[in-house]
Amino acid sequence: MVHITINGKVVKAREGEMLLSVIKRQGIDIPALCHHEAIEPTGNCRLCTVEITKEDWNGWKKHVTSCLYPVEEGLIVSTHSSEVMEIRKTLLDLQLARCPNSEYIQKLAEEYGITETSYKTRPDADNCIMCYACTRICEVLGKSAISAVNRGHDKVIGPPFGEEPPDCIGCLACAQICPTDVIEWSDDGEVRTIWNKKFDLIACKKCGKTIITREFADYLIEQRNLPPEYFDTCDDCKRTEVAQKMGGLVEAAKEVTL
Amino acid sequence: MKFRFKVVPSLCIGCRTCELACAFTHAQDKKPGRSRIYPIAYAQDKYVPVVCLQCDDAACAKSCMFDALKRNEETGAIELDKERCVKCMACVAACPFGCSLVDDVHDEVVKCDLCGGNPACVQFCPTKALVYEKI
Repeated sequence: MVHITINGKVVKAREGEMLLSVIKRQGIDIPALCHHEAIEPTGNCRLCTVEITKEDWNGWKKHVTSCLYPVEEGLIVSTHSSEVMEIRKTLLDLQLARCPNSEYIQKLAEEYGITETSYKTRPDADNCIMCYACTRICEVLGKSAISAVNRGHDKVIGPPFGEEPPDCIGCLACAQICPTDVIEWSDDGEVRTIWNKKFDLIACKKCGKTIITREFADYLIEQRNLPPEYFDTCDDCKRTEVAQKMGGLVEAAKEVTL
Repeated sequence: MKFRFKVVPSLCIGCRTCELACAFTHAQDKKPGRSRIYPIAYAQDKYVPVVCLQCDDAACAKSCMFDALKRNEETGAIELDKERCVKCMACVAACPFGCSLVDDVHDEVVKCDLCGGNPACVQFCPTKALVYEKI
């Protein structure tokens, strides 16, 4: 257990824990676009930058990305100092130049007092901020179906060669984790489309409700050794089935006691 | 596991108080959450409260590729870590009892967490059809 000071308040933290987790636990709201607990932190968006110092640093201070900075005993953290706010403002100004059409970035920038970017906006801008959350979550899943392609200005996130990604299983983890909702997908009846690849959704045998794709279910069955019949029916029908089975047992028990 | 959550269907009268207790306990932003417990009628006026039974070898926890579902050793509940969940719906599809649910209002996956060791449904059940006991 280590003790750190956040905005003047002494708090406890677990050893090896990242600063951002401690800050969030205190209920302090700082923006962190590329951060998600399920993926390794990489510090791509840099918005979680905070100011740190220690008593024996003789007034020296550092600006660090809190998602990547492990806590240390005696750390004094300032999450909203004027310099930190200035850094975040610049970052959001740049993000807004990159993604002028992203409502999420617009809203966040407005919170920091930026309504229009002072830089030149990107022509044909999409909403991708290149945080790599999607590629990292795909890696955690064990698929790595998408990655960054091309270099420099042309760099985009996408499947290999711009074709249908052969390793994609249509789980939607990338689309769900994307902070700016840039990954397009659609569910149309029993067909899910993502990254231009079409997937069959498993329709419940009883009511036809769809939850996940056949490929994703097969992957779970294989990886986690789950019985395939678990995926045949939807959650609603399974609950009704449980009620009927348990009800049958209740009735049978009554007959026995009578 | 120190505690056990027990359902006694023969005592259930289908009053749905547990459902209300659950929804209000899990309210966020002044909106009630989706109930994690479902009293379902299997015959006329005969109900079974269907709720997560915190399986030993739980399919939900096994199916989660992001380790968002973990057992709380104190309460025995398999708890969903919202910060780790990416809403891939694997647990919703995998639970053989259909007790991993989607809360449409708050746009999140939810499951019974035994209210951190003091289940609201148990407190409100008028007929003691729901029991949370020490073992």
